[in-house]
Amino acid sequence: MATNGGNGAPNYNGRAYPIEDHTYDVIVVGAGGSGLRAVVGCSEAGLKTACITKVFPTRSHTVAAQGGISASLGNMGEDDWRWHMYDTVKGADWLGDQDSIEYLCRNAPAAVYELEHWGVPFSRLENGKIYQRPFGGMTTHYGKGTAQRTAAAADRTGHAILHTLYGAALKHQAEFFIEYFALDLIMDDEGRCRGVIALKLDDGTLHRFRGHTTILATGGYGRAYFSCTSAHTCTGDGGAMALRAGLPLQDMEFVQFHPTGIYGSGCLITEGSRGEGGYLTNSEGERFMERYAPSAKDLASRDVVSRAMTIEIREGRGVGAKKDHIFLHLDHLDPKVLAERLPGISESARIFAGVDVTREPIPVIPTVHYNMGGIATNYHGEALTKRDGNDDSIIPGLMALGEAGCVSVHGANRLGSNSLIDLVVFGRAAGLRCAETIKPNERQPDLPKDSADKALSRLDHLRHANGGTPTAVLRARMQDVMQTNCAVFRTGEVLEEGSKKIHEVVAGLPDIKVTDRSLIWNTDLIETLEFDNLIAQAVVTMDSAVNRKESRGAHAREDFPDRDDKNWMTHSLAWLDPKSFKVTLDSRPVHTYTMTNDIAYIEPKARVY
Amino acid sequence: MAEFALPKNSKVTVGKKWPMPAKVKGDKGTRDYLVYRFDPDTGENPRMDTYTVDLDDCGPMVLDALIWIKNKVDPSLTFRRSCREGVCGSCAMNVDGGNTLACTKDMKDISATVKVYPLPHQPVVKDLVPDLTNFYAQHASIQPWLKTTSPTPEKEWQQSHEERQKLDGLYECILCACCSTACPSYWWNSDRFLGPAVLLQAYRWIIDSRDEATGERLDNLEDPFRLYRCHTIMNCANTCPKHLNPAKAIAEIKKKMVERQV
Amino acid sequence: MGAPNHNMRTPLARVRGLGSARSGTEHFWRQRMTAVANVPLTIAGIVIVIALLGRNHAAAAQILGSPLIAIIMLLFIFSVATHMRIGMQVVIEDYVHEEKMKFALVMLNTFYAIAIGLASAFAILKLSFGV
Repeated sequence: MATNGGNGAPNYNGRAYPIEDHTYDVIVVGAGGSGLRAVVGCSEAGLKTACITKVFPTRSHTVAAQGGISASLGNMGEDDWRWHMYDTVKGADWLGDQDSIEYLCRNAPAAVYELEHWGVPFSRLENGKIYQRPFGGMTTHYGKGTAQRTAAAADRTGHAILHTLYGAALKHQAEFFIEYFALDLIMDDEGRCRGVIALKLDDGTLHRFRGHTTILATGGYGRAYFSCTSAHTCTGDGGAMALRAGLPLQDMEFVQFHPTGIYGSGCLITEGSRGEGGYLTNSEGERFMERYAPSAKDLASRDVVSRAMTIEIREGRGVGAKKDHIFLHLDHLDPKVLAERLPGISESARIFAGVDVTREPIPVIPTVHYNMGGIATNYHGEALTKRDGNDDSIIPGLMALGEAGCVSVHGANRLGSNSLIDLVVFGRAAGLRCAETIKPNERQPDLPKDSADKALSRLDHLRHANGGTPTAVLRARMQDVMQTNCAVFRTGEVLEEGSKKIHEVVAGLPDIKVTDRSLIWNTDLIETLEFDNLIAQAVVTMDSAVNRKESRGAHAREDFPDRDDKNWMTHSLAWLDPKSFKVTLDSRPVHTYTMTNDIAYIEPKARVY
Repeated sequence: MAEFALPKNSKVTVGKKWPMPAKVKGDKGTRDYLVYRFDPDTGENPRMDTYTVDLDDCGPMVLDALIWIKNKVDPSLTFRRSCREGVCGSCAMNVDGGNTLACTKDMKDISATVKVYPLPHQPVVKDLVPDLTNFYAQHASIQPWLKTTSPTPEKEWQQSHEERQKLDGLYECILCACCSTACPSYWWNSDRFLGPAVLLQAYRWIIDSRDEATGERLDNLEDPFRLYRCHTIMNCANTCPKHLNPAKAIAEIKKKMVERQV
Repeated sequence: MGAPNHNMRTPLARVRGLGSARSGTEHFWRQRMTAVANVPLTIAGIVIVIALLGRNHAAAAQILGSPLIAIIMLLFIFSVATHMRIGMQVVIEDYVHEEKMKFALVMLNTFYAIAIGLASAFAILKLSFGV
């Protein structure tokens, strides 16, 4: 085994960890929608591309996306990318960068057609075109009509897209490193990202990947919460790697609650169910959304619906024995429509709620679903930080995509079906950027001698952690704090308490206990590394939320109920000291300009649905 | 000859009985779990450990119980899991004698002690984690992407509603490998027989009206082993946790093979 | 895992192996055809055998040698022997993985089917032509 630093197998606490070295033009970490799209793009451009992933690509959480992918194809009637842009800006509560949003919406149709050309089995209309359904917050003529903009493959769109992208990556002979867990970024003295260190799960060997560009496509950190629609593997590994590398995360206080997670299990019921005509009722059988969003009703944006549901429950109009959830009705829909367009959620409701959707309502509750925050990037996917008076200072060699990134097109609140389009549009953009900036097989300088030190000492430390508190206990404490103190509605008091409590959880870290000492498929160790990643982002989320004294999108402060564009039309940036877990906050301005002259900046106004 | 009995070093022994943590208040009682354990570091023969799961502290599914065991009793218990809602295919294992997804298998549907094994007839990496490399390579070998040579349209390839419907029951496959590892033909010939999951995937592309390489795809499958090891045993269709029917897909491929000759 | 792995080819190389044989359909189709043919032919065969019960050699020879019966019996022999050969070959391919042994058994199976078929057919023909 070659070692790049020339220092043989590094030794930690008397234990040797052999390292295998790899050199690539591009290293993609994560094989979900955005990671795979970037892999395809880079491979197509002739760049030697590695894709490192902790799960087999089709197990990535993109697979669970249900409702669809938004793009102004206009298959169901008139549509325009500008309307899509307006909706996205409004959905984001004006916190989105409008140059990025323009890039997203303009390129959306081409990205969807491309997916179709690669084989995604979209549902079809009689005329042979792709079927599109209505989705929350999607309108025509700048808020006047209801748009049918969300292209769907029944209610398994993410599954269809992910499997197709995996096939496309195979077609381009992408080099996969499957079941490798990325530990840390390799940064050099100049602040350039030079690659990544990963642990191979099935034999415990370490692998050092050197590349011109490292693309983090590692997804969100939904598992910081007790109840979420996210998979067990959604632990925000990329975000935490960035924090440990001394980079900031942006807009972390914005955590989206999906209105319809199944009560109890938290499994997702797509917004497409409301797009197809489903509606919510309270204990009085009232369609309460008519009161909160008179024109969009059940298809208002997610933050609005989640807040309305929370208010109904709080005011005693919840359903069930504890009056703590809401009903989603699909029973009035034609069973044929349910079978053709919503088969997946019909089955989920049967398995996880014991409900026959053709006859009974589904018990649902707002559930953590998506992190708008992440690694700040421009619309090429290049990671940004604020330094030396530059608000958009590019971190050379690093990119971030999808839920791990923050472009920011979703701003303070993401619209349903905008995440899948985010993945493919910016995954493609990253590929194009790499093709532009990297010459295939260009020589790379040697890595710093200590390139693996930090990652290995952290690995060794946690592998032999022998305290008194198992990882699962600490994790449960963190999830409990986040669930209680950083929920749909927030107040200064509750957040302050949350911050205190989450730092108490952090204080328990030195006492963490790992039982399994093996290096072969040691999931106890992996869960501990993942917990370490989660807690970093939980702390940052809580402290960013304490800081933002206004209500915007998913961040609803009862003590500051209004949006405050004067003081808070800014992205929050949060750095974390990896030792003390002390958060340093700053901000950078929202891009109040568009990419081209084809559309003017959309001025902020009151956000009503 | 095909190996009918387990090799000596795979003979399963009786393992440890783990004590249950203090019972949480409630009336749901407990459930015994008998779980296959294999530790690659010692290389000792696999064993069956017994755990008692507190149902008042645990969700309803088999995966919930395994996670409960990992969190509360034995953190070294190893298994794959991700989405916990039956779409990612990670937690495929043999539960109560059948291959299924642990996350959608309700304990209520199992009468007594819950027995959990890894997917059958695959090399075991550790505990409930099988090595599926061969399975994935087989999937890659059928070239699971749309092949076209006609000029690509600016917009979508047209596909009628009826043509699209032919993909239903096929594209939903999550590659969990439950079916393939339930197939005796695959047990004996997994080196050459593609198995039900991969053949179902192959048919998904053969029958896609947009694909222009149907003949080439059939050529690649026309083989006494790749395709014709299927003897319609039907274990695949019986075990599929997504209620798909790989056997039917395989029969359709055979029909197409005959169709192009007769 | 466990046992040392002497095969260091990549998984894809192993799966692709020697490529597709581009055959098998012929076998499959013939097996189905003979299966269909075997239904009436076996019934006819049984009826004929029952008809022979209790008769002396000369009567039996006369029945078996009559043109219609002889043709049915020849078809029956041909169809069953073909079906048997393919079926047995599938079983061998299923369970015998050692290449030399497999070739030998497949060959032996073919010889056996031909020998049995030919011997039976010869017997019928002998009765028919009364040589």
